Amino acid sequence: MEVQKEAQRIMTLSVWKMYHSRMQRGGLRLHRSLQLSLVMRSARELYLSAKVEAHEPEVPLPPVRSPDPRLHQSREAEAVAEAAPPDGEQPSPEPMDTREAPPAEETPARCAPRPAKVSRKRRNSSLSDGGDVGLVPSKKARLEEEGEGASAEVPDRLQPPPAQAEGAFPNLARVLQRRFSGLLNCSPPAPPTAPPACEAKPACRPADSMLNVLVRAVVAF
Amino acid sequence: MFLKFSLHSMFYGAGGGNDIQWCFSQVKGAVDDDVAEADIISTVEFNHSGELLATGDKGGRVVIFQQEQENKIQSHSRGEYNVYSTFQSHEPEFDYLKSLEIEEKINKIRWLPQKNAAQFLLSTNDKTIKLWKISERDKRPEGYNLKEEDGRYRDPTTVTTLRVPVFRPMDLMVEASPRRIFANAHTYHINSISINSDYETYLSADDLRINLWHLEITDRSFNIVDIKPANMEELTEVITAAEFHPNSCNTFVYSSSKGTIRLCDMRASALCDRHSKLFEEPEDPSNRSFFSEIISSISDVKFSHSGRYMMTRDYLSVKIWDLNMENRPVETYQVHEYLRSKLCSLYENDCIFDKFECCWNGSDSVVMTGSYNNFFRMFDRNTKRDITLEASRENNKPRTVLKPRKVCASGKRKKDEISVDSLDFNKKILHTAWHPKENIIAVATTNNLYIFQDKVN
Repeated sequence: MEVQKEAQRIMTLSVWKMYHSRMQRGGLRLHRSLQLSLVMRSARELYLSAKVEAHEPEVPLPPVRSPDPRLHQSREAEAVAEAAPPDGEQPSPEPMDTREAPPAEETPARCAPRPAKVSRKRRNSSLSDGGDVGLVPSKKARLEEEGEGASAEVPDRLQPPPAQAEGAFPNLARVLQRRFSGLLNCSPPAPPTAPPACEAKPACRPADSMLNVLVRAVVAF
Repeated sequence: MFLKFSLHSMFYGAGGGNDIQWCFSQVKGAVDDDVAEADIISTVEFNHSGELLATGDKGGRVVIFQQEQENKIQSHSRGEYNVYSTFQSHEPEFDYLKSLEIEEKINKIRWLPQKNAAQFLLSTNDKTIKLWKISERDKRPEGYNLKEEDGRYRDPTTVTTLRVPVFRPMDLMVEASPRRIFANAHTYHINSISINSDYETYLSADDLRINLWHLEITDRSFNIVDIKPANMEELTEVITAAEFHPNSCNTFVYSSSKGTIRLCDMRASALCDRHSKLFEEPEDPSNRSFFSEIISSISDVKFSHSGRYMMTRDYLSVKIWDLNMENRPVETYQVHEYLRSKLCSLYENDCIFDKFECCWNGSDSVVMTGSYNNFFRMFDRNTKRDITLEASRENNKPRTVLKPRKVCASGKRKKDEISVDSLDFNKKILHTAWHPKENIIAVATTNNLYIFQDKVN
């Protein structure tokens, strides 16, 4: 219980720091953001493992926890970012699931127009050229959001991109993408496969395009 | 090799630990406790001869101190450092595309070796590197035919005779002028610059990329390292520091936030994404904690003068690596191990993110780094002794020998010891520099620069 409380405190503190660091002079620092994400992830894992241990005899939780915490974390990030008191929330698996529902109602509304929009000219034409295409909401991310209402399905849908569990940024990136969805015009219909980040690197490194600069402003802070 | 090292330090003085006594020499900067943010020192660097000492601050200003020529009569102390030149290197800028302000804070200063009468240095903020020429003017031409002495042009019809202008002495003026501006090459924040041993090129590193520049060419640079993942969501580490090898112009290293150092050879390929060597120490499982990942981030990497070793600084320790051995450092020195149990509090007050630098002495026998409470630490690699000293105005009488300090980690506090809970975490020494040839050190507290030297009998 103590461990859980401490982990929760660290999580909310980390999110607060992340939010606060966006407002400092010089812009968000990538290294700092990464470090905060790492701490948040460790805290989340600790919190959830403590939770699992506490609830083990009662409720068998789904074994794959990493996709869920990212959603959970993004809820927290949103909650704090919208000026909720940092320690006002008491997340637990049950409220966490119900909290996922309301945003799931809004996001499809926002997500739906996206595939229909024509891609702006700055957008990289191919996903496989190793450019900054991963910075815009990918098809995979939208699948996750649409699947929020059915929490049981979430773990399954989130299985495909194993690399995602490694990254420290998915949650905050998604939060910021949602908040800045008006700025980021669209993403083209992306193939429902894992991003080819693990595949062979391109022979030539593509020059950073204007789009990347704009998108980078959001995701890379 | 080892024997040679020890003999060398025996004959020339170990330069650290308890072997030499450090004395206060000077302190520069404002006395009052109310620190103006612009005056916070952000970098300190001696030039190659040690005659000049440059500091950069958060306000974008560079101040250069020059050592007075040694007074032969008063040989009990070395020359003092006095202000030689002050100039505004960088101004705050605004990136309109990203709606971000670009801080003017000077992140690093690096001196070029002196080739003529002028001095050159590179200074950088988050986005732009500038090459500055610092030159002296102690004479000026007088006796122009077409101009009056005050610069006004004479009416040509009044000129009846011709004369040759001559140089006449004037009061020494030190001028700093920006000779090159290297801009628009970094998307992320520049953390390092390093001049190559060819003295023609230099590298600049940001969080994800390292660029190679030619000192004469400002409109393009070569990208030599790029660790940006195709999908930013997969980002797991960033570049924290980079440096060229002091002798091999094809070799450089860069450190990461994961505690690894990669050595790259530019002859291998144009893009050095694949390292030649990877230096990494396996994590001690007994030390694993919540904040393990972030305290393993390397904040500074410095080659030894010999080029045989490199030193890295992470949050709690200093490690010396032999370039021939990748799997673990040859020496590890704990800077403030007593903080390991306080990491949570240090996370809360943001101190855990502090980036400490480290430096070698001229003979590579002693290393130095900063800590909290205005303490700084020196580790003698030969005697294995270490010392903790304090930069404080209380000891500011010249030639006052500094008393070693000790932090009491737990239990009964002895007299003159300071307990961990009494440490002032707002007083941190992040930047230190060691004179390349002598035992003179420059230690920067928040807004003051302290100069200490060893006791000369």
